[in-house]
Amino acid sequence: MEDHEILAKFQDPASRNLAFNQLVRKYQQKVYWHVRKMVIDHADADDLTQDVFVKVWKHLGDFRQDAQLFTWIYRIATNECLSFLQSKRRKFFLPLNDVGAELAAKLEADPAVAGDEIELKLQKAILRLPDKQRLVFNLRYYDEMPYEQMAEVTGTSVGALKASYHHAVRKIEDYVTAADMRGYSSDDAN
Amino acid sequence: MKPSFRLDQHPRRWPQPLSAPPAGYFEQLPTRVMAQVAAPTRPWQLATWLRQAPAYVRTSLASTLLLGTFAASLWLGAGPARQPSVAAGLDGVPQEELVDYLASEAHLDLTDLAELPARPLGITHHYLHPSAPELADALDAQPTDEAALL
Repeated sequence: MEDHEILAKFQDPASRNLAFNQLVRKYQQKVYWHVRKMVIDHADADDLTQDVFVKVWKHLGDFRQDAQLFTWIYRIATNECLSFLQSKRRKFFLPLNDVGAELAAKLEADPAVAGDEIELKLQKAILRLPDKQRLVFNLRYYDEMPYEQMAEVTGTSVGALKASYHHAVRKIEDYVTAADMRGYSSDDAN
Repeated sequence: MKPSFRLDQHPRRWPQPLSAPPAGYFEQLPTRVMAQVAAPTRPWQLATWLRQAPAYVRTSLASTLLLGTFAASLWLGAGPARQPSVAAGLDGVPQEELVDYLASEAHLDLTDLAELPARPLGITHHYLHPSAPELADALDAQPTDEAALL
């Protein structure tokens, strides 16, 4: 079902539930993986994904169709993720690196990256980025989202996004190189 | 020495290497979401609102609740309400009914009359307002045993 059909049916109380069910089915995987990449843990991603759709339900009636529906949903999901990570940091008085370390620990326990050392280093480097920069990196590198669409999702200018992505790549390369060097030195020592 | 890591030379794994959610997760998710949005109950809404409210709102709500509880306990614990006095109760009874009661129902004997001077004479003035002739008549109507007065 096309977005405009979903929106039209949602306006009608008789078909509202049906339309929203279609919307959830259409976008659930994209939202889930977008959230999951930010919070890593499945249980957190599950809670946040549901929260995102509850918010979509509440505000879909006010959605102005001058933006794409998916961009609008992505924006809600992004805000939910950033709020979640911020509240987690505030609740446990954690500095930025500690949240990154906690996420990295969860990632290490994930069987999907087990055994791939360079991939694990890359993922750890990504998790060391500040939340917003990590978001920009994920959207560009993994989702291959155009900068214009990213600007709508994040509410940031295209120029700022390009600069942010460029810095993120540099940081990641520096981190992985340094981690490689440490590993290489310890290999030499052995 | 190892060469520097270059992201553009690294084979990109897509999607990002994370384990898949539990089997059947995406089949169940729409049902779970619909259960939340279709008929939310008021306590759920209140709990959600409280959970999502900013910290300062929750703090001020808690303070108000605490202060309100304290004020209520102070007000309720101020002691029992004052009972209206007997004299105030008698003030509401019409004069005629009082006189009728005293004349017909009350059994005054000479002992009462003998004890009367020992009490403040104005004891009944706030509820009984007899004129001097009425009082004299009432007393004259009572049988006397003069021996008791000696």
